[in-house]
Amino acid sequence: MVRILRKVQLSYLLLAPTLLFLVLFFFVPLVQVVGTAFRARGGGFTLAHWQRLFTDIHFPDALKNTLLLALLIIPAQLVLAFLAALIINKQGRGSTALLYIYAIPLGISDLAAGLIWLSIFTERGYLNSLLQNLGFIERPILYLSSRSPQWLVAAVVITEVWRATPLVMVILLSGLQMIAKDYLEAAEIFGCSWWQKVRLVILPLLKPSIQSALIMRTILAFQVFGPIVVLAGRLLPVLASESFHWYAIIRHEYIASAYALLLMVLSVLVTWSYLVLLRTKEEQLGVM
Amino acid sequence: MKLSRSFSVLLLLSALVFLAGASAAQTLNFASTQFRPIEEQQFFREQVLAPFVAETGIQVNMIAEEYAPFFSRLQAEARTGRFETDVFGTLHGDFPALLAEGIPMELPDPQSLPGRTFIEELVKLGQVDGQQIYVPWTQATYLMAANKKALDYLPEGADVGALTYAELLEWAKNLYEATGSAKLGLPAGPQGLFGRMLHGYLYPAFTGHQVQKFDSPDAVSMWSYLKELWDYVHPSSAIYENMADPLLLEEVWVAWDHTARLGPAIREFPDNFVLFPSPAGPYGRAFITVINGLGIPKGVQDFDLAWRLIDHLTHPETQVIVLEGTGFFPTTVEAASYVPQGANKLLADAVAAQASAPDALVSLLPVGLGARDGEYVPTFKDAFEAIVLRGQDIETVLARQGARLRELFEDTGADYPQP
Repeated sequence: MVRILRKVQLSYLLLAPTLLFLVLFFFVPLVQVVGTAFRARGGGFTLAHWQRLFTDIHFPDALKNTLLLALLIIPAQLVLAFLAALIINKQGRGSTALLYIYAIPLGISDLAAGLIWLSIFTERGYLNSLLQNLGFIERPILYLSSRSPQWLVAAVVITEVWRATPLVMVILLSGLQMIAKDYLEAAEIFGCSWWQKVRLVILPLLKPSIQSALIMRTILAFQVFGPIVVLAGRLLPVLASESFHWYAIIRHEYIASAYALLLMVLSVLVTWSYLVLLRTKEEQLGVM
Repeated sequence: MKLSRSFSVLLLLSALVFLAGASAAQTLNFASTQFRPIEEQQFFREQVLAPFVAETGIQVNMIAEEYAPFFSRLQAEARTGRFETDVFGTLHGDFPALLAEGIPMELPDPQSLPGRTFIEELVKLGQVDGQQIYVPWTQATYLMAANKKALDYLPEGADVGALTYAELLEWAKNLYEATGSAKLGLPAGPQGLFGRMLHGYLYPAFTGHQVQKFDSPDAVSMWSYLKELWDYVHPSSAIYENMADPLLLEEVWVAWDHTARLGPAIREFPDNFVLFPSPAGPYGRAFITVINGLGIPKGVQDFDLAWRLIDHLTHPETQVIVLEGTGFFPTTVEAASYVPQGANKLLADAVAAQASAPDALVSLLPVGLGARDGEYVPTFKDAFEAIVLRGQDIETVLARQGARLRELFEDTGADYPQP
């Protein structure tokens, strides 16, 4: 009895640092942000900050861009990560090396990733120099300007896909490795083609991993910030960069908080809908 | 039992850490909103602060940060009643805002510092109700710079030293037609200072005022001008943060920016560039004079130690080092009489030419907006984005932004900035 109690105590003790961290650096600031978003400068409740936010010239674009980027980035990442995970999971020659190479961007901060791609896409950047040296273009193309918003979006999407696909891949790979070989062997006996195996066996069994990868990536895609700031400035406003702008440049912590709160509500909604839409039945877990 | 032992180890460790911190008491925390770009920070640490550390043995911890975290830090420290920031340096207009936020400042007469005479006008600007709240630290302004190649395309009869905005447009147009790409660049990126050009240069030059004529017919013609000019402005301008890099890369040939943000290009190739005053409009050649000050929060742990750092930072010798390295100009008579060489001479000459132009019109940054100081420039910049980048109707945008601007001054009770 005493031993069991000890065990329980120990588990709480082990949890305590994380819990303390979350309370101090997540829950307390969260409550403060909610308070700030509804508090007038002089004190007291107000909705004025929200009114100002919704009528700001950057707000409709910020919302639209945030959703658009998530919509473009996440499916691309999912497909690329799944393919990479399939290849690496084959354990063929060089698959470990491939895994390491693929995972390199994981170690790079989003701001640094933005800077790397800025040096590629800027007017006198690597891309233009290459194209010019090969004789494809006569004069540099301007990718990052207000006159070509489609290029701005493309640059951010490419940067984000390059930077964060490995994260999805690692989650999917661990999911793939959990799938018992027996299912695949059974499918083979029944004469399934490679595509049928992927569609009928692997994908359904991978659903829990896909779900967690989706939740994580969508939340992170909503928060995309570094590459935006570096590549597009305020030409491509998103909710996260607007929150930063209102706080750091305009020094208006109230509207910055409102943006942050909006971002959180959006993330919660999406997470919740993933949990509902991609609900996994117990027998689909695939662990034997 | 085991737990309490590890707990006591933890206690001991934290006590040791605390003691180590306490024994290094000769440390000053110096927060600055200036010298923030990474090259300037490095220069400041190595060339400006290092000699002080070597001479006095006092460690200086320089914290270069954006305005918002800078304000948040001082506000938080004021609330705890214990200032960890010993010395801070920021814009002239921030000091009254800091006072309003409950950060008290009381300094002795700067002229009591040995070996220097501060420019009297600047000392007076650092006083509120007769109380000195900052020591004048550096001065700066915004200028135009051009690659010498661009001079061939100046419109006929135009003098680069006395340019008008109409001539600038024609010049930019000539360059565009001759080279096939826009060669005029402006720092309109998120951290760029183009907002200053709108409120302190274009508005006063075209309307005579920064605020009063925000939505007047003169303002409408200014915005039409800017829209027309923008066709010949390099499209990457909307992400430029400083103009030194695009000038060096020759992405642009003509640019406008802060002296410190043009400096790196000029210092690299002083023979390739010319520097000259900003253009003039119908109401004159408007320009901003930026003044930075150094302050000490009242109630800091060791005032004398903090004052020694200010003594060092405003010493004429230090001010000359800062001018040579960054393009920020001195505030003491002794350092101001120093004649710089090379690139800095170009900068200094252009600053003097701008200040002494017969049609000079000095713009000051607004004072008294307090905590809402940060909303001033974005009002202009939002109008710019709506009108120029998105092509919205000028009158509609000016009516909306003008109402916001007037509300800002009414709510805070601040006076309109000069002119």
